[in-house]
Parts: sequence; structure tokens; C-alpha cells
Amino acid sequence: MDPARRLGPAQIDVLAQLAVATVLLGGIYALIAVGLTLIFGIMRVVNFAHGEFLMLGMYLAFWAFALYAVDPYVVVLLSIPVFFVVGLVTYVLVMRGVIQASHNVQIFTTVGLSVVLQNVALVAWAGDFRFVRPWHLSTVIRAGSTTFNLSQVVAFLIAVGLTVALVAFMKWTHAGRVMRATAQDRDAATLMGIDTDRVYRLTFAIGIAAVGAAGVLVAPLYAIYPTAGLQFVLLAYVVVVLGGLGDMFGAMLGSFIVAAVEVAGSYLFGTAWKEIFYFILFILVLVFRPAGLFGQRGAETLGV
Amino acid sequence: MIARLRSRPGAVALFGLAALTPLFVRDAYFLDSLVLILLWGALSAAWNVAGGYAGQVSIGHASFFGLGAYAAALMVTRFGRGPWLGMLVGVVLSLGAGFIIGFLSNRLRGPYFALSTIAFSQVLLIGVSRWRGFTAGGEGIPVPFRPGFTTLGLGHIAWVYMALAAALLCYAVEVYLERSRLGYRLAGVREDEDAAEALGIPTRRLKVLAIALSAALTSICGSLWAQYVGFVDPTYVFSVDLSVKFALNTIIGGMGTALGPYLGSILITSLETYLRATFSGVKTGFAGIYLIIYGTVLILVVRFVPDGLAGFASRLRARRAHA
Repeated sequence: MDPARRLGPAQIDVLAQLAVATVLLGGIYALIAVGLTLIFGIMRVVNFAHGEFLMLGMYLAFWAFALYAVDPYVVVLLSIPVFFVVGLVTYVLVMRGVIQASHNVQIFTTVGLSVVLQNVALVAWAGDFRFVRPWHLSTVIRAGSTTFNLSQVVAFLIAVGLTVALVAFMKWTHAGRVMRATAQDRDAATLMGIDTDRVYRLTFAIGIAAVGAAGVLVAPLYAIYPTAGLQFVLLAYVVVVLGGLGDMFGAMLGSFIVAAVEVAGSYLFGTAWKEIFYFILFILVLVFRPAGLFGQRGAETLGV
Repeated sequence: MIARLRSRPGAVALFGLAALTPLFVRDAYFLDSLVLILLWGALSAAWNVAGGYAGQVSIGHASFFGLGAYAAALMVTRFGRGPWLGMLVGVVLSLGAGFIIGFLSNRLRGPYFALSTIAFSQVLLIGVSRWRGFTAGGEGIPVPFRPGFTTLGLGHIAWVYMALAAALLCYAVEVYLERSRLGYRLAGVREDEDAAEALGIPTRRLKVLAIALSAALTSICGSLWAQYVGFVDPTYVFSVDLSVKFALNTIIGGMGTALGPYLGSILITSLETYLRATFSGVKTGFAGIYLIIYGTVLILVVRFVPDGLAGFASRLRARRAHA
């Protein structure tokens, strides 16, 4: 056996570091994906503009930090109500009119929204790469043989906290139950006296609040520019399809799978190639398990 | 033949006008706009073959455009052969890619299919950007200009006729789909796939066929575009924006109508040219403002005139016939 390949202490250290990186990344991906899957599951709309709301969250963090020196992890608290309102307004102006329309209309409405938001950001803030550099980004934590910085850990903890809160909201509150009922059967829910328009409004606002908060959280970790959302949203599609569109637990599990693929891919082949792995994974999943790894078979051909 | 032409006065007027323009207009800027209108129109018509006639809405058609553009550019710069051979190679590659995507479409509908086509174009984008040794990566490839027909080094006037030929080719395929058994079967697949299947129509094979045909046409236009513009880079030719552009022109003009993509292209390409001239001095460039308008138009059109200009016109005509 190749001595370099033998599992010595050095290799175990590397594995531990990769595992930690996977978990930290997966937690953040989960928050991005959960909003997308929620909107899909309840409204039956794939939000092609999801990444642009993430980008807006990143800019919110940037400007709060640049102008008022507010730490991104304080801005997170502010971003949730802000993006909730942004979601409400977007729903009323753009989404409400197409909720009953065909898939093509819905696809191109959200694609159009994505083009508009990207370019509003481009015109307002120019195309330069911007960075948020709070103090905790350079604070390194060592645990055993692994190292990571404080920003990643805090981002991970907040993301997991928010994701769990959202899942709990869906499971145990009345509003959450009403939303799940609408997801299961729109017509039956209407017959039970549920105002589906209100449900959709709430769903869209919550989904956008989640992804906006995620944008604020990732702002210190990545470059900020008008099309920054694209890389994350493509990844979120992979996560969401992997977990089964509309399945929140599936999305969480999918996040960690995609994070693992990305981390292992960058370690083995270099970061330049990392995206190609999850797209290949994506296409493979679409071919072999299009309803997701844990989803009901057949959902993909219903055209839902 | 004459009767058939008479039944399509819009197309005769449009393509006839395009053919006559170079005889009277020598302004390079105007001719350039005309070439772009025809090429984008042809590309949108190619998208329409899959998206409009067969109902397979793709947001990854830039894959085929990019394959055609790169095949032509690489054939010239790496192998020292003519761009026509490159175009042929591009068509073969795009047919292959079209079959793969078509296979995906057999398992996926609606948003799932759209997502898979985006993923496909992203894989090509990353692959071409990273394979520096062969494709020159993100720097892109300048295509050298060598005068002559075999090298596609043409003047403005010749390019108008070249683009017109591409436009007529794609238009002819569309008209064929409106009149032939194949076209009717595809309409069946588009309107209700399960019903079509129940009637014994081989829906799977037809969808693959429509996507592959659309891919080959897109690739041909991509090769022409690369030779006309003289530069290819992966972030443009494989971009989601470009795929959206093909769809947008078609949606604005009217999906599933033969002339629609060209009407959409006239409107959008002129708007783009106009805004580029108007906003080029503004500091952030025109691109942003133009694209904000473009996105807004897309949202409004799919919402309020989902059948596009062509559909709108035929509704007007129907109303007048009633009155």
C-alpha cells in the first residue's frame, strides 16, 4: 500500500478537519435551502430569484458594517423583519398574480425578478467585489487537531438555530399546521376555510426572511457582488432536489451531503473544480432519483 | 408556392425587407443591428422548436450556443481548419448534448426540467473555464479575421445575407412543425403528454427529437455568432442570461408561433441597441439599466400577454372579424 495513503495520525487530522468544514458549511447551506424548499412545497413555485435575496442580505450586512460598523451577527436580528417585509411586498407585487398560472409563466416571472434584482444591485452599488471583515473573522479556534475561525462557527450556530426554529414553527404552531395543510391539498384547505392567499403570503415572506438572514450570515465569508447569489442558489437547487422538493428535513440532510461533496472535491481536486462536482451530483440525482433521495417517487413527472 | 407565401404576409414582408435593406442602406451601424436582429431571431426560433412547439422549456440553451461558438473558434485557432468544419463539429456535439438533455426531459417536467438544463450549462461553463490548456479558459479566444467565404471573413453586407440564411433555415423548420405530422404530434405532447401517450404517440422519442433539432439549430447560429463577433469567452456564451434571452424574445413575440421569435428579437434587440447608445456615457454602464427594463418587461409580458405579440395580434384580428 502506498505509505502516503495509509491512515496515519496525519490523515486522521485531515479527515477531522474536512468533517468539521463539512458540518460548518452544511449548516449554512441548510438555511439557504430551507426557504427555497418551503416556498416550493407550499406554493408549488420554484423561486429562481432566491439567490438574489441572498445577495441583498449580503449587501445589507456590507452597508451596515461599512457605514455604521454594525457587526453582521447583530444585523442578522434586523434582517429577519426587513426581509420578511421584502418578501411580503414581492409576493403582493409579483408572485400573487402568477400563483395559479402555468409553470412557464412562473419560471419566467421569477427569472425576470432575478434579472431585475441583480441589475438594481449593479446600478446602485457597482460590480466591484466587496468584503466584510469583522474582528471575529481573524479569530482562530483550535479544537484538537482542527482549526476554524470564529465567524464560521457563529454563522453555523445562528443558521442552525434559525433552521430549527423554522422547522419547529412549521411543526407545532397553528400557522405552521395551516401551511402544511395547504401544501398537502390546496383545494381541501380552501374548503376547510383556510385563506390560501394569506398562507402563500406568509410562506413567501418566511422563505425570503430565511434566505435574507442567510445572506447576512455568509457576508463575512464570501465576496459580495451583484451576481453573488447565483453560486449559492444553484447549490440550493441541488440541495433541494436531493432532499426532495418541498421536504424540509430532506433539505437539511441534502445540505450536508452537498457540503461533503464540495469539501471532499476541493480537497482532492482543488477548489477550481469544486462546483462541477455538485452539478454532476445534481444531474445524477435527477436521472436516477429525480424525486430526491428520500422523496416520493413520481413527483417529478406530475410537473408539480 | 405563391399561395403559401401569401398566407404568411408577415414573414414575406420581414425577410424581404431584410434582404432588400443592404441594397439601399450602407450604414455599418444599421447593418450591424440588422445582423444581430436576424441572428438573435434565428436563435430564439431555434429555442422555440423545443420550448414553443414541443413544450420543453429550457433555460440552458446557452449550452448549445456555446458548443457551436467554441467548436468554430477552436477549429480555426487550434486546428487551423475552416469555421465551417467547426460548425459541423459543433452540430455533432450539440446533437449529443441535446440527446442527453432530451433523455433528462423524459424523466422530468416543468421546473425540474428547467433546473436540469441550467445545471447542464453550468457544467459546460465550469469545464470550459477550467480547461485552460485547450480552451484558453476564462480569457476567451479571439477569432482571427481572414477574408473569404470559406473562412467566414465577410463584410457587413455579406453578413446580412448569412444571418438571413440562418433566420430562414430556423423559420423553415418552424413552418414545417406547423404543417407536418411531426409538428401536430409535438403539439399533442405539449398540450397533454399523458393523453398523447395514450393515443399511441411515442412522446419520449419525439421530445428527444425536438430538443436535439433545437440544439443543432442553436449550435449553427452559435458558430456564426462566434465568427461574426470575433471573440468567444465562457462566461458569456454559457451564461444563464443568454439562455433567458432566447426564451424572452420568443415569449415576447409569441411561443409556438413561427414569426414570434423574430418579432421579439426586433423589439428586444432594437431596445438593447437604443439603450446602449443612450446610456453608454453613464458611469455604471448601460448594462444594468437595460437589464432592469428587460427583466421588468419579461415579468409584465408573461403576466399580461402570455401569448406574446403574435398571439395579441391574432386576438385583435379575431375581434375585428367578429365586429
